[in-house]
Amino acid sequence: MDDEIIDLYLGRPSGKRMWTDFLTSLGIHNFSDKEIKQIDFTVGLKHDGKLVATGSVAGNVLKYIAVCNKGAVSGARFAQLVSELISRQFQRGVYHLFVFTKLRYVSSFEHAGFKALARSDYGAFLENGTPDVHDYLSAIPRIPQQAEKKVAGIVMNANPFTLGHRYLVEQAAKANDLVYLFVVNTDTSLFTTVERMRLVQAGVADLTNVVVINGGDYMVSYATFPAYFLKTPDDEIAYQTELDARIFRDVIAPALNIKTRYVGSEPLSHTTNIYNQVLVRELPPLVAMQVITRRQVGEQGYITATQVRCCIRENDLATIETLVPTTTLAFIKRHISDLQARIAAGQQISGN
Amino acid sequence: MEIKTTGVAGTLESSDIQVMLSKGDNGIEINLDSEVKKLYGDQIEAVIKTTLTSFGLTDAKVKAVDKGALDCVIKARTLAAAQRATKTTDKPALEVL
Repeated sequence: MDDEIIDLYLGRPSGKRMWTDFLTSLGIHNFSDKEIKQIDFTVGLKHDGKLVATGSVAGNVLKYIAVCNKGAVSGARFAQLVSELISRQFQRGVYHLFVFTKLRYVSSFEHAGFKALARSDYGAFLENGTPDVHDYLSAIPRIPQQAEKKVAGIVMNANPFTLGHRYLVEQAAKANDLVYLFVVNTDTSLFTTVERMRLVQAGVADLTNVVVINGGDYMVSYATFPAYFLKTPDDEIAYQTELDARIFRDVIAPALNIKTRYVGSEPLSHTTNIYNQVLVRELPPLVAMQVITRRQVGEQGYITATQVRCCIRENDLATIETLVPTTTLAFIKRHISDLQARIAAGQQISGN
Repeated sequence: MEIKTTGVAGTLESSDIQVMLSKGDNGIEINLDSEVKKLYGDQIEAVIKTTLTSFGLTDAKVKAVDKGALDCVIKARTLAAAQRATKTTDKPALEVL
């Protein structure tokens, strides 16, 4: 017998109570507001008036999927629920979906058409739909005989692009035939994704062997790496970064023949420091790690994008001039009132 | 016939097939996921291909997750996905079936 599909409205106390009671009975206990606020919609399956399955969607990620198989053919409710979530996502025009799950549920999602991108001891990361990672990789420009060339990769948020970033890219460009520079796609920073991309492109335009690419959903994105943007406990960061590092090592790097990943040393940001430690542990020997020591600038110490953002808030253009290339400086000068308005409107500037 | 958007039809429930169609430029490329692929994979792909060809599509990326669908279901789901992808749902091309 089919179960009835219902909408659950977490904004209403009654809907939320039914939902949390059901999830708690199946062992899910993390209902932080931060997580719940991201949820776009939630559906449930009802059998004889009782909730027997539920699942939610946040952007392009399926979350909080829980199914009770009591009194049903094993797997039937899961299939019905996931079908419903997928088809609703398609109706919203979202054709590319992700899910994080425990290792023992990976095969259930694989039966629903998902493909595993990376696994760690704690969990796995799967995707479904189109364009998938193969479409993403095949759209990246390549050079002739790339398989025999020295290729390196860098991933950066560049919020905004500074002389420190520029120094890192230069070091990589000098030592390699080709450098892929992936810019983090998630749009939660002071500078928008489009602005960050444009400033990076302008900032490295003279380096002919550097290719700037949007990191898509595969590099430090919301999907792979929420902890990077949200200050969370260290083990959660370590788990997320492990998946991120393994996608880079097992999927991205082999397809593009990337043999070295360059990162800047990180004496200041706690989160990024953990991230770098995980990269050092996970990437070698398949992908070598090259940690470039941050350049010291006079008495101010290191160049950081955080510092640039603080100077924007303080309207301190003289200091910014010493921290960023002329291309970034020109942009900031042109848009400083707009950027200050974003900060005034509550945009965080202290994170990454 | 030109693919304008990604088109999807079908569910993941038993005896159904979910067909997703998006733009391609290398003929009809089918990525099939099925419990019975060893036995019926060729047949399923042939049905999808014939349906798309007689609908008038020559290039498409197809992602299909089969849950034991019969040929008539495969045809119907493929046609529905194709009409959604080409934005021609206002004129059902039932003669293709």
